[in-house]
Amino acid sequence: MTQQWLDACATDDVDDEDLITLDLGGRFVAIYNTPQGFFATDGMCSHEDEPLGDGLVMDGVIECPLHQGRFCVRTGKALSAPAVTDLCSYETRVENGRVFVKV
Amino acid sequence: MITNAKTSNIHLDKKALKALMRRSDRPGLIYLGSWLGLLAFCATLVMLSVGTWWMVPTLLIYSGIFAVPAYALSHECAHGTAFRTRWLNEAVFWLTSLLYYEEPLHRRYSHASHHTHTWIEGEDNQMPFAPIPLTFSGWVEEILGLGLYCHQTKMFVSHSLGVFSDDVKRVTPESELPRMQRNTQICVAIYLGFAAISIWFGWLWPLWLIVIPRVLGGPIMNAFILMQHVEMAENQPNIVQSTRSFRTNWFFQFLYFNMNNHIEHHLYPTVPFHALPKLSEALTDQLPKPDAGFLNTHWEVLKITVRRSLGHDDRSDKIRQAFPDTPAGETNDTAMA
Repeated sequence: MTQQWLDACATDDVDDEDLITLDLGGRFVAIYNTPQGFFATDGMCSHEDEPLGDGLVMDGVIECPLHQGRFCVRTGKALSAPAVTDLCSYETRVENGRVFVKV
Repeated sequence: MITNAKTSNIHLDKKALKALMRRSDRPGLIYLGSWLGLLAFCATLVMLSVGTWWMVPTLLIYSGIFAVPAYALSHECAHGTAFRTRWLNEAVFWLTSLLYYEEPLHRRYSHASHHTHTWIEGEDNQMPFAPIPLTFSGWVEEILGLGLYCHQTKMFVSHSLGVFSDDVKRVTPESELPRMQRNTQICVAIYLGFAAISIWFGWLWPLWLIVIPRVLGGPIMNAFILMQHVEMAENQPNIVQSTRSFRTNWFFQFLYFNMNNHIEHHLYPTVPFHALPKLSEALTDQLPKPDAGFLNTHWEVLKITVRRSLGHDDRSDKIRQAFPDTPAGETNDTAMA
Protein backbone atom coordinates (compact mmCIF):
# COMPACT_ATOMS: atom_id res chain seq x y z
CA MET A 1 0.00 0.00 0.00
CA THR A 2 1.34 3.44 -0.91
CA GLN A 3 2.22 5.59 2.05
CA GLN A 4 1.26 9.22 2.12
CA TRP A 5 1.94 12.23 4.30
CA LEU A 6 -1.18 13.25 6.21
CA ASP A 7 -1.80 16.38 8.28
CA ALA A 8 -2.31 14.95 11.79
CA CYS A 9 -2.58 17.86 14.22
CA ALA A 10 -1.17 21.22 15.29
CA THR A 11 2.04 21.14 17.31
CA ASP A 12 0.12 22.86 20.12
CA ASP A 13 -2.36 19.99 20.27
CA VAL A 14 0.18 17.78 22.04
CA ASP A 15 1.58 18.96 25.38
CA ASP A 16 5.29 18.67 26.10
CA GLU A 17 6.27 15.09 27.11
CA ASP A 18 2.79 13.87 26.23
CA LEU A 19 0.82 12.23 23.44
CA ILE A 20 -2.50 12.26 21.68
CA THR A 21 -4.16 9.43 19.79
CA LEU A 22 -6.23 9.83 16.64
CA ASP A 23 -7.49 8.00 13.55
CA LEU A 24 -5.29 8.81 10.60
CA GLY A 25 -5.60 7.25 7.16
CA GLY A 26 -7.47 4.29 8.58
CA ARG A 27 -4.95 3.70 11.36
CA PHE A 28 -5.15 4.46 15.08
CA VAL A 29 -2.00 6.47 15.68
CA ALA A 30 -0.25 7.97 18.72
CA ILE A 31 1.64 11.25 18.23
CA TYR A 32 4.26 12.14 20.83
CA ASN A 33 5.78 15.49 21.68
CA THR A 34 9.22 14.97 23.26
CA PRO A 35 12.28 17.20 23.76
CA GLN A 36 13.79 15.30 20.79
CA GLY A 37 10.84 16.18 18.53
CA PHE A 38 7.54 14.71 17.38
CA PHE A 39 7.20 10.97 16.82
CA ALA A 40 4.36 8.65 15.84
CA THR A 41 3.59 4.97 16.49
CA ASP A 42 0.53 2.74 16.55
CA GLY A 43 -1.91 4.01 19.16
CA MET A 44 -2.82 0.63 20.70
CA CYS A 45 -0.54 -1.32 23.03
CA SER A 46 0.62 -4.53 21.33
CA HIS A 47 0.22 -6.45 24.60
CA GLU A 48 -3.54 -6.34 25.15
CA ASP A 49 -4.94 -3.72 22.78
CA GLU A 50 -5.19 -0.94 25.36
CA PRO A 51 -5.26 2.58 23.84
CA LEU A 52 -2.03 4.37 24.76
CA GLY A 53 -3.69 7.80 25.05
CA ASP A 54 -3.64 7.87 28.87
CA GLY A 55 -0.11 6.49 29.02
CA LEU A 56 2.96 8.17 30.43
CA VAL A 57 5.61 9.67 28.13
CA MET A 58 8.97 9.90 29.87
CA ASP A 59 12.54 9.97 28.57
CA GLY A 60 11.48 9.03 25.03
CA VAL A 61 9.43 6.06 26.24
CA ILE A 62 5.65 5.54 26.23
CA GLU A 63 4.30 3.43 29.06
CA CYS A 64 0.94 1.68 28.58
CA PRO A 65 -1.66 2.86 31.11
CA LEU A 66 -2.94 -0.65 31.86
CA HIS A 67 0.11 -2.90 32.43
CA GLN A 68 3.01 -0.47 32.07
CA GLY A 69 4.47 -2.21 29.02
CA ARG A 70 7.07 0.24 27.63
CA PHE A 71 7.92 1.21 24.05
CA CYS A 72 10.46 3.53 22.47
CA VAL A 73 8.45 6.38 20.91
CA ARG A 74 11.07 6.86 18.16
CA THR A 75 11.23 3.25 16.92
CA GLY A 76 8.17 1.56 18.48
CA LYS A 77 10.47 -1.09 19.97
CA ALA A 78 9.01 -3.00 22.93
CA LEU A 79 11.34 -2.34 25.87
CA SER A 80 9.95 -4.30 28.79
CA ALA A 81 7.43 -6.94 29.86
CA PRO A 82 4.58 -7.42 29.48
CA ALA A 83 5.12 -5.81 26.06
CA VAL A 84 7.13 -7.98 23.67
CA THR A 85 5.79 -7.06 20.22
CA ASP A 86 7.05 -3.80 18.71
CA LEU A 87 4.66 -1.06 17.65
CA CYS A 88 4.73 0.21 14.06
CA SER A 89 6.42 3.58 13.96
CA TYR A 90 5.75 6.27 11.38
CA GLU A 91 7.85 9.08 9.94
CA THR A 92 6.87 12.56 11.06
CA ARG A 93 7.69 16.09 9.97
CA VAL A 94 6.68 19.50 11.28
CA GLU A 95 5.74 22.32 8.89
CA ASN A 96 4.15 25.66 9.74
CA GLY A 97 3.06 24.52 13.18
CA ARG A 98 1.47 21.32 11.87
CA VAL A 99 2.56 17.71 12.45
CA PHE A 100 2.52 15.49 9.36
CA VAL A 101 2.69 11.71 9.61
CA LYS A 102 3.57 9.30 6.81
CA VAL A 103 1.06 6.43 7.00
CA MET B 1 -13.90 -9.79 30.13
CA ILE B 2 -11.76 -6.64 30.49
CA THR B 3 -11.71 -4.50 33.62
CA ASN B 4 -10.42 -0.90 33.64
CA ALA B 5 -11.46 2.69 34.39
CA LYS B 6 -13.60 2.86 31.26
CA THR B 7 -15.52 -0.35 32.03
CA SER B 8 -16.01 1.04 35.55
CA ASN B 9 -17.45 4.37 34.28
CA ILE B 10 -14.81 6.37 36.12
CA HIS B 11 -13.35 9.48 34.53
CA LEU B 12 -10.35 11.60 35.38
CA ASP B 13 -9.14 14.66 33.50
CA LYS B 14 -6.03 13.80 31.48
CA LYS B 15 -3.99 16.72 32.86
CA ALA B 16 -4.83 15.70 36.42
CA LEU B 17 -3.92 12.09 35.64
CA LYS B 18 -0.66 13.13 34.02
CA ALA B 19 0.33 15.12 37.11
CA LEU B 20 -0.43 12.13 39.34
CA MET B 21 1.48 9.68 37.13
CA ARG B 22 4.70 11.71 37.37
CA ARG B 23 7.64 9.52 38.40
CA SER B 24 10.38 10.29 40.86
CA ASP B 25 13.07 8.28 42.66
CA ARG B 26 12.79 10.34 45.83
CA PRO B 27 9.62 8.92 47.47
CA GLY B 28 10.65 5.35 46.67
CA LEU B 29 14.15 5.89 48.09
CA ILE B 30 12.71 7.49 51.25
CA TYR B 31 10.33 4.54 51.69
CA LEU B 32 13.08 2.00 50.94
CA GLY B 33 15.52 3.71 53.32
CA SER B 34 12.90 3.96 56.07
CA TRP B 35 11.96 0.30 55.64
CA LEU B 36 15.56 -0.91 55.70
CA GLY B 37 16.33 1.31 58.70
CA LEU B 38 13.32 -0.01 60.60
CA LEU B 39 14.27 -3.59 59.66
CA ALA B 40 17.85 -3.06 60.86
CA PHE B 41 16.60 -1.67 64.19
CA CYS B 42 14.12 -4.53 64.72
CA ALA B 43 16.66 -7.12 63.52
CA THR B 44 19.06 -5.90 66.23
CA LEU B 45 16.34 -6.35 68.84
CA VAL B 46 15.59 -9.86 67.52
CA MET B 47 19.24 -10.94 67.62
CA LEU B 48 19.72 -9.44 71.11
CA SER B 49 16.66 -11.29 72.39
CA VAL B 50 17.53 -14.75 71.02
CA GLY B 51 17.11 -17.28 73.85
CA THR B 52 14.80 -15.04 75.92
CA TRP B 53 11.01 -14.63 75.98
CA TRP B 54 11.49 -11.18 74.46
CA MET B 55 12.18 -12.95 71.23
CA VAL B 56 8.48 -13.76 70.73
CA PRO B 57 7.18 -10.16 70.47
CA THR B 58 10.30 -8.83 68.73
CA LEU B 59 10.22 -11.59 66.12
CA LEU B 60 6.49 -11.12 65.52
CA ILE B 61 6.90 -7.37 65.03
CA TYR B 62 9.95 -7.88 62.83
CA SER B 63 8.07 -10.47 60.74
CA GLY B 64 5.22 -8.07 59.96
CA ILE B 65 7.64 -5.29 59.11
CA PHE B 66 9.61 -7.72 56.94
CA ALA B 67 6.84 -9.48 54.99
CA VAL B 68 4.22 -6.81 54.26
CA PRO B 69 6.55 -4.24 52.64
CA ALA B 70 8.46 -7.01 50.79
CA TYR B 71 5.17 -7.93 49.12
CA ALA B 72 4.06 -4.31 48.63
CA LEU B 73 7.37 -3.11 47.19
CA SER B 74 7.62 -6.13 44.89
CA HIS B 75 4.09 -5.33 43.67
CA GLU B 76 4.93 -1.65 43.11
CA CYS B 77 8.09 -2.57 41.21
CA ALA B 78 6.13 -5.10 39.10
CA HIS B 79 4.21 -2.07 37.84
CA GLY B 80 7.46 -0.17 37.31
CA THR B 81 6.15 2.69 39.41
CA ALA B 82 8.33 2.51 42.53
CA PHE B 83 11.23 4.46 41.03
CA ARG B 84 11.78 6.63 37.99
CA THR B 85 15.19 5.04 37.33
CA ARG B 86 14.50 1.77 35.59
CA TRP B 87 17.52 -0.24 36.77
CA LEU B 88 16.77 0.73 40.37
CA ASN B 89 13.16 -0.38 39.96
CA GLU B 90 14.23 -3.71 38.45
CA ALA B 91 16.96 -4.36 41.06
CA VAL B 92 14.52 -3.77 43.93
CA PHE B 93 11.92 -5.84 42.06
CA TRP B 94 14.28 -8.84 41.97
CA LEU B 95 15.28 -8.51 45.61
CA THR B 96 11.73 -8.10 46.96
CA SER B 97 10.32 -10.82 44.69
CA LEU B 98 12.95 -13.21 46.06
CA LEU B 99 11.82 -12.28 49.58
CA TYR B 100 8.16 -12.65 48.56
CA TYR B 101 8.97 -16.07 47.01
CA GLU B 102 8.02 -15.57 43.36
CA GLU B 103 10.07 -15.35 40.17
CA PRO B 104 9.86 -11.73 38.98
CA LEU B 105 8.82 -12.24 35.34
CA HIS B 106 6.05 -14.62 36.33
CA ARG B 107 4.99 -12.12 38.98
CA ARG B 108 4.75 -9.39 36.33
CA TYR B 109 2.73 -11.46 33.85
CA SER B 110 0.36 -13.02 36.38
CA HIS B 111 -0.24 -9.60 37.89
CA ALA B 112 -0.95 -8.15 34.44
CA SER B 113 -3.70 -10.77 34.04
CA HIS B 114 -5.06 -9.76 37.46
CA HIS B 115 -5.38 -6.17 36.24
CA THR B 116 -6.85 -7.03 32.84
CA HIS B 117 -9.42 -9.43 34.27
CA THR B 118 -9.83 -8.36 37.88
CA TRP B 119 -11.72 -10.99 39.92
CA ILE B 120 -12.95 -12.82 36.78
CA GLU B 121 -12.93 -16.57 37.42
CA GLY B 122 -10.75 -18.51 35.00
CA GLU B 123 -9.09 -15.34 33.65
CA ASP B 124 -7.58 -13.62 36.69
CA ASN B 125 -4.47 -15.63 37.61
CA GLN B 126 -4.37 -14.23 41.13
CA MET B 127 -7.71 -15.38 42.51
CA PRO B 128 -7.68 -17.15 45.92
CA PHE B 129 -6.82 -20.86 46.02
CA ALA B 130 -9.78 -21.56 48.33
CA PRO B 131 -13.28 -21.53 46.76
CA ILE B 132 -15.10 -18.19 47.00
CA PRO B 133 -17.17 -16.94 48.69
CA LEU B 134 -14.82 -17.98 51.48
CA THR B 135 -15.89 -20.25 54.30
CA PHE B 136 -13.96 -20.22 57.59
CA SER B 137 -11.69 -23.07 56.44
CA GLY B 138 -11.06 -21.16 53.19
CA TRP B 139 -10.17 -18.08 55.23
CA VAL B 140 -7.67 -20.13 57.27
CA GLU B 141 -6.17 -21.57 54.07
CA GLU B 142 -5.76 -18.12 52.52
CA ILE B 143 -4.35 -16.49 55.67
CA LEU B 144 -1.80 -19.26 56.23
CA GLY B 145 -0.92 -19.05 52.53
CA LEU B 146 -0.36 -22.80 52.26
CA GLY B 147 -1.82 -22.92 48.75
CA LEU B 148 0.48 -20.11 47.68
CA TYR B 149 3.63 -21.76 49.12
CA CYS B 150 2.80 -25.06 47.36
CA HIS B 151 1.93 -23.28 44.11
CA GLN B 152 5.14 -21.21 44.07
CA THR B 153 7.35 -24.16 45.06
CA LYS B 154 5.82 -26.24 42.28
CA MET B 155 6.46 -23.43 39.82
CA PHE B 156 10.08 -22.99 40.93
CA VAL B 157 10.63 -26.67 40.14
CA SER B 158 8.60 -26.95 36.93
CA HIS B 159 9.69 -23.59 35.43
CA SER B 160 13.33 -24.45 36.12
CA LEU B 161 12.78 -27.56 34.01
CA GLY B 162 10.98 -25.58 31.29
CA VAL B 163 7.55 -27.02 32.06
CA PHE B 164 4.76 -24.43 32.10
CA SER B 165 1.09 -24.90 33.00
CA ASP B 166 -1.72 -23.82 30.68
CA ASP B 167 -2.52 -21.00 33.12
CA VAL B 168 1.02 -19.62 32.83
CA LYS B 169 1.02 -20.02 29.04
CA ARG B 170 -2.31 -18.21 28.80
CA VAL B 171 -0.86 -15.02 30.33
CA THR B 172 2.74 -15.22 29.08
CA PRO B 173 3.87 -14.73 25.47
CA GLU B 174 5.61 -17.86 24.17
CA SER B 175 8.74 -15.84 23.39
CA GLU B 176 9.09 -15.00 27.10
CA LEU B 177 9.00 -18.58 28.40
CA PRO B 178 12.76 -19.22 27.94
CA ARG B 179 13.49 -16.02 29.87
CA MET B 180 11.08 -17.14 32.59
CA GLN B 181 12.90 -20.50 32.76
CA ARG B 182 16.31 -18.80 33.01
CA ASN B 183 15.05 -16.36 35.69
CA THR B 184 13.59 -19.23 37.71
CA GLN B 185 16.88 -21.12 37.53
CA ILE B 186 18.69 -17.99 38.79
CA CYS B 187 16.20 -17.67 41.69
CA VAL B 188 16.59 -21.33 42.65
CA ALA B 189 20.39 -21.00 42.45
CA ILE B 190 20.25 -17.94 44.74
CA TYR B 191 18.01 -19.72 47.28
CA LEU B 192 20.11 -22.91 47.29
CA GLY B 193 23.42 -21.06 47.19
CA PHE B 194 22.45 -18.85 50.10
CA ALA B 195 21.24 -21.87 52.10
CA ALA B 196 24.50 -23.73 51.36
CA ILE B 197 26.68 -20.77 52.37
CA SER B 198 24.66 -20.32 55.59
CA ILE B 199 25.06 -23.99 56.50
CA TRP B 200 28.78 -23.99 55.60
CA PHE B 201 29.53 -20.97 57.81
CA GLY B 202 27.03 -22.00 60.50
CA TRP B 203 25.06 -18.76 60.11
CA LEU B 204 21.77 -18.64 62.03
CA TRP B 205 20.83 -15.06 61.21
CA PRO B 206 19.25 -15.92 57.79
CA LEU B 207 16.93 -18.27 59.65
CA TRP B 208 15.95 -15.67 62.28
CA LEU B 209 15.87 -12.67 59.96
CA ILE B 210 14.60 -14.05 56.61
CA VAL B 211 13.11 -17.56 56.66
CA ILE B 212 11.15 -17.52 59.93
CA PRO B 213 9.95 -13.90 59.45
CA ARG B 214 8.73 -14.74 55.93
CA VAL B 215 6.68 -17.63 57.34
CA LEU B 216 5.53 -15.81 60.51
CA GLY B 217 4.82 -12.58 58.61
CA GLY B 218 3.03 -14.46 55.84
CA PRO B 219 -0.39 -14.42 57.55
CA ILE B 220 -0.10 -10.68 58.25
CA MET B 221 0.85 -10.07 54.61
CA ASN B 222 -1.94 -12.36 53.39
CA ALA B 223 -4.45 -10.51 55.57
CA PHE B 224 -3.59 -7.32 53.66
CA ILE B 225 -3.76 -9.09 50.29
CA LEU B 226 -7.08 -10.77 51.10
CA MET B 227 -8.74 -7.42 51.87
CA GLN B 228 -8.25 -6.25 48.28
CA HIS B 229 -11.18 -8.17 46.75
CA VAL B 230 -12.66 -10.63 49.26
CA GLU B 231 -16.48 -10.49 49.54
CA MET B 232 -16.63 -8.25 46.48
CA ALA B 233 -18.40 -9.02 43.19
CA GLU B 234 -16.90 -11.59 40.83
CA ASN B 235 -17.17 -11.85 37.06
CA GLN B 236 -18.24 -8.36 36.13
CA PRO B 237 -16.39 -5.46 34.51
CA ASN B 238 -16.76 -2.75 37.15
CA ILE B 239 -13.64 -2.48 39.30
CA VAL B 240 -15.53 -0.45 41.88
CA GLN B 241 -17.78 -3.46 42.47
CA SER B 242 -14.99 -6.03 42.54
CA THR B 243 -12.42 -4.19 44.65
CA ARG B 244 -12.17 -2.73 48.14
CA SER B 245 -10.39 0.34 49.48
CA PHE B 246 -10.09 0.78 53.22
CA ARG B 247 -8.91 3.44 55.62
CA THR B 248 -6.02 2.65 57.86
CA ASN B 249 -3.47 4.36 60.07
CA TRP B 250 -0.28 5.96 58.75
CA PHE B 251 1.94 3.05 59.85
CA PHE B 252 -0.09 0.41 58.00
CA GLN B 253 -0.23 2.73 54.98
CA PHE B 254 3.57 2.89 55.14
CA LEU B 255 3.92 -0.92 55.40
CA TYR B 256 1.44 -1.42 52.57
CA PHE B 257 2.73 1.34 50.27
CA ASN B 258 -0.69 3.05 50.29
CA MET B 259 -2.33 0.02 48.61
CA ASN B 260 -5.28 0.42 50.95
CA ASN B 261 -6.39 2.77 48.12
CA HIS B 262 -6.91 -0.35 46.08
CA ILE B 263 -9.85 0.64 43.87
CA GLU B 264 -7.87 3.72 42.86
CA HIS B 265 -4.81 1.57 42.08
CA HIS B 266 -6.82 -0.76 39.83
CA LEU B 267 -8.45 2.14 38.01
CA TYR B 268 -5.15 3.91 37.29
CA PRO B 269 -2.24 1.47 37.82
CA THR B 270 0.25 3.90 36.27
CA VAL B 271 -0.12 6.20 39.30
CA PRO B 272 2.76 5.48 41.74
CA PHE B 273 2.12 4.50 45.35
CA HIS B 274 3.05 7.92 46.76
CA ALA B 275 0.36 9.67 44.65
CA LEU B 276 -2.48 7.27 45.54
CA PRO B 277 -3.86 9.39 48.41
CA LYS B 278 -4.09 12.35 46.01
CA LEU B 279 -5.71 10.14 43.36
CA SER B 280 -8.22 9.03 45.98
CA GLU B 281 -9.04 12.68 46.72
CA ALA B 282 -9.49 13.40 43.02
CA LEU B 283 -11.94 10.51 42.65
CA THR B 284 -13.84 11.00 45.93
CA ASP B 285 -17.09 11.97 44.22
CA GLN B 286 -17.06 8.90 41.98
CA LEU B 287 -16.11 6.21 44.49
CA PRO B 288 -17.87 4.61 47.47
CA LYS B 289 -16.61 5.38 50.95
CA PRO B 290 -13.62 3.20 51.88
CA ASP B 291 -14.23 0.57 54.53
CA ALA B 292 -13.35 1.64 58.05
CA GLY B 293 -9.98 0.36 59.17
CA PHE B 294 -7.88 -2.67 58.30
CA LEU B 295 -8.50 -4.53 61.56
CA ASN B 296 -12.24 -3.66 61.63
CA THR B 297 -12.70 -4.76 58.03
CA HIS B 298 -10.80 -7.95 58.51
CA TRP B 299 -12.64 -8.80 61.73
CA GLU B 300 -15.91 -8.35 59.85
CA VAL B 301 -14.73 -10.63 57.02
CA LEU B 302 -13.75 -13.27 59.55
CA LYS B 303 -17.19 -13.11 61.20
CA ILE B 304 -18.86 -13.42 57.78
CA THR B 305 -16.87 -16.57 56.94
CA VAL B 306 -17.73 -18.14 60.31
CA ARG B 307 -21.45 -17.32 59.93
CA ARG B 308 -21.38 -18.68 56.37
CA SER B 309 -19.72 -21.93 57.51
CA LEU B 310 -22.44 -22.38 60.13
CA GLY B 311 -25.16 -21.80 57.54
CA HIS B 312 -26.20 -18.47 59.08
CA ASP B 313 -26.90 -15.12 57.40
CA ASP B 314 -23.63 -13.96 55.80
CA ARG B 315 -24.68 -10.37 55.08
CA SER B 316 -22.82 -7.47 56.68
CA ASP B 317 -23.84 -3.85 57.04
CA LYS B 318 -20.39 -2.78 58.22
CA ILE B 319 -18.25 -3.41 55.12
CA ARG B 320 -18.85 -3.30 51.39
CA GLN B 321 -20.08 -6.67 50.19
CA ALA B 322 -21.44 -7.94 46.87
CA PHE B 323 -24.95 -9.25 46.45
CA PRO B 324 -24.07 -12.42 44.55
CA ASP B 325 -27.64 -13.01 43.38
CA THR B 326 -27.84 -9.82 41.33
CA PRO B 327 -26.78 -10.02 37.68
CA ALA B 328 -24.40 -7.06 37.97
CA GLY B 329 -22.97 -8.22 41.28
CA GLU B 330 -24.11 -5.02 42.96
CA THR B 331 -22.73 -4.12 46.36
CA ASN B 332 -24.42 -2.84 49.49
CA ASP B 333 -23.02 0.70 48.95
CA THR B 334 -26.49 2.20 48.66
CA ALA B 335 -27.69 0.45 51.78
CA MET B 336 -24.68 1.77 53.68
CA ALA B 337 -24.90 5.37 52.41
